[in-house]
Amino acid sequence: MIPAGSLLVAEGLRKTYGPTTALDDAGFSIHAGETVAVMGPSGSGKSTLLHCLAGIVTPDAGTIHFDGRELSAMSDAERSALRRSEFGFIFQFGQLVPELTCVENVALPLRLTGTKRKDAERRALGWLERLEVDDVAAKRPGEVSGGQGQRVAVARSLVTGPRVVFADEPTGALDSLNGERVMQLLTEAARSANAAVVLVTHEARVAAYSDREIVVRDGRSRDMEHAV
Amino acid sequence: MNNPRTWTRDLGLGMRFAVTGGREAWVRTALTAIGVGLGVCLLLVTTAIPSALSSRDARGDARNDTRFAEKVMPAADDTLVVSAVDTEYRDKNIRGRLVAPDGPKAPLPPGVSAYPKPGEMVVSPALAELLESDDGKLLADRLPDRQVGTISDTGLIGPGELAYYAGAEKLEPTGYPTERIDHFGPAQPGQDEFDPVIVLLTLLVFVVLLMPVGVFIAAAVRFGGERRDRRLAALRLIGADSRMTRRIAAGESLAGSLLGLVLGTGFFLITRAAAADIEVVDVSVFPADLDPSPALALLVGIAVPASAVAVTLFALRSVVIEPLGVVRTAKQPRRKLWWRLLLPLGGLALLYPMIGQGRDGGRFNEWLVTGGVVLLLVGITALLPWLVEAVVARLGRGSLSWQLAVRRMQLSSGTAARMVNGIAVAVAGAIALQMMFAGVEGDYTNPTGQDTSRAHMEVHVPDSERAEQQARETRSRLQQTRGVTKVSEPLMTASVAERPKDADSNALAHIGSCNALREIAKLPSCKDGDVFVIPRSKDYGDDTEAARLAKPGKRLYVDPMNNRFHGKNPAWELPAKIREVTPRKSPDGYLNTGLLATTGAVPADGLPIRSGAIWVNTDGSDPDVTERVRNAGAAASPLTEVYVYAADEETERFASLRTGLYVGAVAVLALIGASLLVSQLEQLRERRKLLSSLVAFGTRKRTLSLSVLWQTALPVALGLTLATVVGITLGSVLLKMVSRPISPDWTSVGAMTAAGAAVVLVVTALSLPPLIRLMRPDGLRTE
Repeated sequence: MIPAGSLLVAEGLRKTYGPTTALDDAGFSIHAGETVAVMGPSGSGKSTLLHCLAGIVTPDAGTIHFDGRELSAMSDAERSALRRSEFGFIFQFGQLVPELTCVENVALPLRLTGTKRKDAERRALGWLERLEVDDVAAKRPGEVSGGQGQRVAVARSLVTGPRVVFADEPTGALDSLNGERVMQLLTEAARSANAAVVLVTHEARVAAYSDREIVVRDGRSRDMEHAV
Repeated sequence: MNNPRTWTRDLGLGMRFAVTGGREAWVRTALTAIGVGLGVCLLLVTTAIPSALSSRDARGDARNDTRFAEKVMPAADDTLVVSAVDTEYRDKNIRGRLVAPDGPKAPLPPGVSAYPKPGEMVVSPALAELLESDDGKLLADRLPDRQVGTISDTGLIGPGELAYYAGAEKLEPTGYPTERIDHFGPAQPGQDEFDPVIVLLTLLVFVVLLMPVGVFIAAAVRFGGERRDRRLAALRLIGADSRMTRRIAAGESLAGSLLGLVLGTGFFLITRAAAADIEVVDVSVFPADLDPSPALALLVGIAVPASAVAVTLFALRSVVIEPLGVVRTAKQPRRKLWWRLLLPLGGLALLYPMIGQGRDGGRFNEWLVTGGVVLLLVGITALLPWLVEAVVARLGRGSLSWQLAVRRMQLSSGTAARMVNGIAVAVAGAIALQMMFAGVEGDYTNPTGQDTSRAHMEVHVPDSERAEQQARETRSRLQQTRGVTKVSEPLMTASVAERPKDADSNALAHIGSCNALREIAKLPSCKDGDVFVIPRSKDYGDDTEAARLAKPGKRLYVDPMNNRFHGKNPAWELPAKIREVTPRKSPDGYLNTGLLATTGAVPADGLPIRSGAIWVNTDGSDPDVTERVRNAGAAASPLTEVYVYAADEETERFASLRTGLYVGAVAVLALIGASLLVSQLEQLRERRKLLSSLVAFGTRKRTLSLSVLWQTALPVALGLTLATVVGITLGSVLLKMVSRPISPDWTSVGAMTAAGAAVVLVVTALSLPPLIRLMRPDGLRTE
C-alpha cells in the first residue's frame, strides 16, 4: 500500500543486468521532508533502487512517480533537467571534480541550471558555511580531508534547493566520528530545507538518522514501518 | 641501497607485474608494446634507408655502360656496342638498352645470363608483368621483341624497375647514346659529388621525422600510467619505499618497451617483406637491401628500453606514491623557464657558425646541424609545458565547459602539454623544412622555357645518315597516330665547318621547309633555295661561328668532328645570297644560332643530315596519346627520343626529398594521432566514475564533450603556436645557412598547422563515442 501524499513513489520495479536480477518487484515511497534509509547487504539492489528512483537508470518494468509525474514517460533530457533542478546527490567518495575548488564544486549544479557564476559561488559559500567547511572553499578536493570533502558534497547536493536528496553510502569512506557529523549536518540541513532524503546505507547507526527504513534483499523491498 | 642488484631486482619485479598483473596489466603492456613497436619499426626502416639507397647505387654503378668517350673504342672479341634507348610509359621510366656483342667474349651485363639475339629481349620481372597486363598493351606495341629471359635482381636497382636489354643486328658507335664498351661498371668511380644543400636537406628530413617518433615512444611508455600508480600504492602499503616503487614502475615500462622491440622488429620484418611491392616516388627497394646498419640497430635496441626506464623515472619525480594512494604533488613548483630556454638557445648556438656556409658549395658539419636541430626541436618539448602552464594560469572565466577544461589543465598542465608535444615537434620541423624547400626551390625547379602553346611534344630523330628518310617516315607515322592533332615539318640539323676533319669549331646548319625554319627564326620572306643565318642570339652570344662561316660561296663540310667520312666529307657550297635573320624561340625554349637552309639550297645527296626534330600537338583529353606518339617514334627507329613538354621541371632528387617529407610527415602525424587517442581514452576511462556522477546530477553531455574538446584544442593551439615560432626560427636559420633570403612560407605554415589541427579534431571526434558511452549511469555501479 502506498502512503497518501508521497512525493516520490515507485511500484513493481524490475531491473536486470544480464543474468543478474538487481530489482524484483521493488517498491518505495517518501514524503517531502522525510528521511528514508534504504538498507540491505552488499549486492542486494539498494543502489540500483536509488539510481532508478533518481531517473539515472530506467527500470525494465514498474512505475516511478515524482510529484505526480511519471519518470519513465520522460525523455533523457527531461530526466536530466529534473535531476538538475529537483534532486541532489551524494556519493560514497564524494565524487567531487578534482580540478575545481570546493566552492566551485558546490556552485557546479547551480551553474548547470544557468545561474551566473558570481551568484552561484556566493550561494555555494553560504552552504559551505552552514556545513562548517567554508575554510576550505578555495582548496581543491585533493587538499582536504575525507570528512571535509564529504561535507562539501553535502553542500553541493543541497545548493539548488532540491526536493529530494539521494545519498548513496555517504559515510562509507569516513571514520565513525566524521560519519556522525556528516549525517547530523545532512539531516539538519535537509530538514530545514524541507528536502526528502533517500539514504542508502548498510550501517544501522547511519540508518538511525532516518525517519523510516526500507530493507532491500534479493531485489525485493520491504517497508519496515508497514512490516508485520 | 641503490646498487645494481637492487635495480635489477626492482626492475625485474616490475617486469613480472607487467605480465602477471591480470587483464589490466596485460592491456597496459600491450598498449605500450604496440606504441613502442610502431615507433621501433619506423626507426628501423629509417635507419635501413641509407643502406638500401647505397645498395641501389651500387647496383646502378655495376651495370653502368655510359662512357661519354671522345674516341670510339675498336671492336674486339671482348667488346660490345650498347645503345641507351630509355623510354617512358605512363610517367614510369623504362631503362632500355640495345646490345650488339662484337665477339664471343663480350662481357654480360649484371643479371643477364646470355645476350638476346636480334628480335629478342630479356626483361625485368616488373616489365614482363606490365607487358603481359592489359595496362601494358600500348607498351607491348613499342617493345614487340620476343622475351627470352629475365634480368635477375643483381642487374636491377629495385624490384619494381622496368628494364630490358634487346638484341640488335648492328649498332654504329657514334658516341653517347651508342657506345662501344669492354666492361660494365663505373668508368671513373667516385665522381658523384652531392650538393651540400641536398645533403643538408636529407639530413634534416631524417632528423625532423625521427624526432617526433622519439617523442612518441616517450609518450607510449607512459600509457596506462595512472592505473599503474594506484597499483604501486599497494606496494607502498606492504613496505616498498618510494624509490623502489619508481624502479618497479620503470620495470613495468621496460617490459612494455622490450615487448615493443620484439613487436617492432616483427613489424619491420613484415614491412621489409612487403617492400618489394611498395613503390614510393618511382623508387622500390629489394627486401634484402633494406638492412639497418648493425650499429644503428643496436643503438635502437639499447636506446629504446633505456629511454623507457629514464622516461618513467623522470615522469614519476613529481608523483608521490603513498601507501594509501597516489598523490600528484598537490602544488607543483612553478615550472622554471631559464633551463628550458637553454635548449633552443643551445641549438641556435650550434647552428650559428654555419650561417652562410652554403654559399659557393661549402660543406656543413653534419654533427653540428643534427645537434642544433635536435636541440631546437627538443626545446619545444621543454618549453611547451611551461607555456601551457603560464597561459592556462592566466585564463579567465567562461562557460562551464570552459571552466572544467581550464581548471583541469591548471591542475595538470604537464599531461596536456605531453599530449601535443609530438605534434608540435613534427609541425615545427615540417614548417622549417618546407620553408627551406620553398627558399631553395628556385635552384631546383627550373622553368624549362618550353612553349606548350606551340607544341606538346618533340620527337627527336636520332643522329644517322638515314635521318632524313627516318624523319619522313616518323612524320608520316605521327600523322596517322590517333590523338595527334598537328605534326610539324621536320627540322633537320647538321654540324658544318670549313675543314672536313679536325676542325677547331663548328656551326649548326638547320635544314627544312620554310615552315620548319620559321619555328626557330623570324623570316621576312622565304622560298625554296633560300639560305639565312642567325649570327647571334641571347642564348649563344654575338660572335658565333655561324656568323664567321656565313660567307657567300664558301665551301663547308658536314660532320667535321666525328670523322665518319675519314676526311672525304660531303661538301656544301653556300649560295651567293645569305640573308641575316633574327632568331625566334623554338618550341623547346631556346634561341638558336646557325645557318638556315631551305631543302632546295642543299645538295640532295651531298648533305647527310645528323638529326632532326618534329614538333607534335596532341589532344590533351586522350590519356594514351603520349604513349602512341612514343610508339610511332620507336617504330621508325628504337633510338628515337620523345620529349613531353612542360613549363617547369623539378630536379629529381629534390622532388623525391620533398615527396619524402610529405609522406613522412603524414605518417608521423598519424602515429602521433594514434598515441593522442590512446592517452585521451585512457584519461577518460580514469574519470569514468566522475563523469557518471556529473551526468547523475544533470550535467549535459554537450557540456562534457565541449570540455573534452577545449582540453585538447587549447594545448594544441598553444603547441602549434610554439611550433610555428620555432619552425620559422629554424627555417630562417637554415635559409641563412644556405645564404637564401628569409621569407616564411605561409602556405606551408598554414598547411602543416591545419594538418596538426586536423589530427586533433579527428582524435576528438574518435574519442566522443567512448566519452558518451562512459557517461552512462552504469559507471556509478560498483557491484
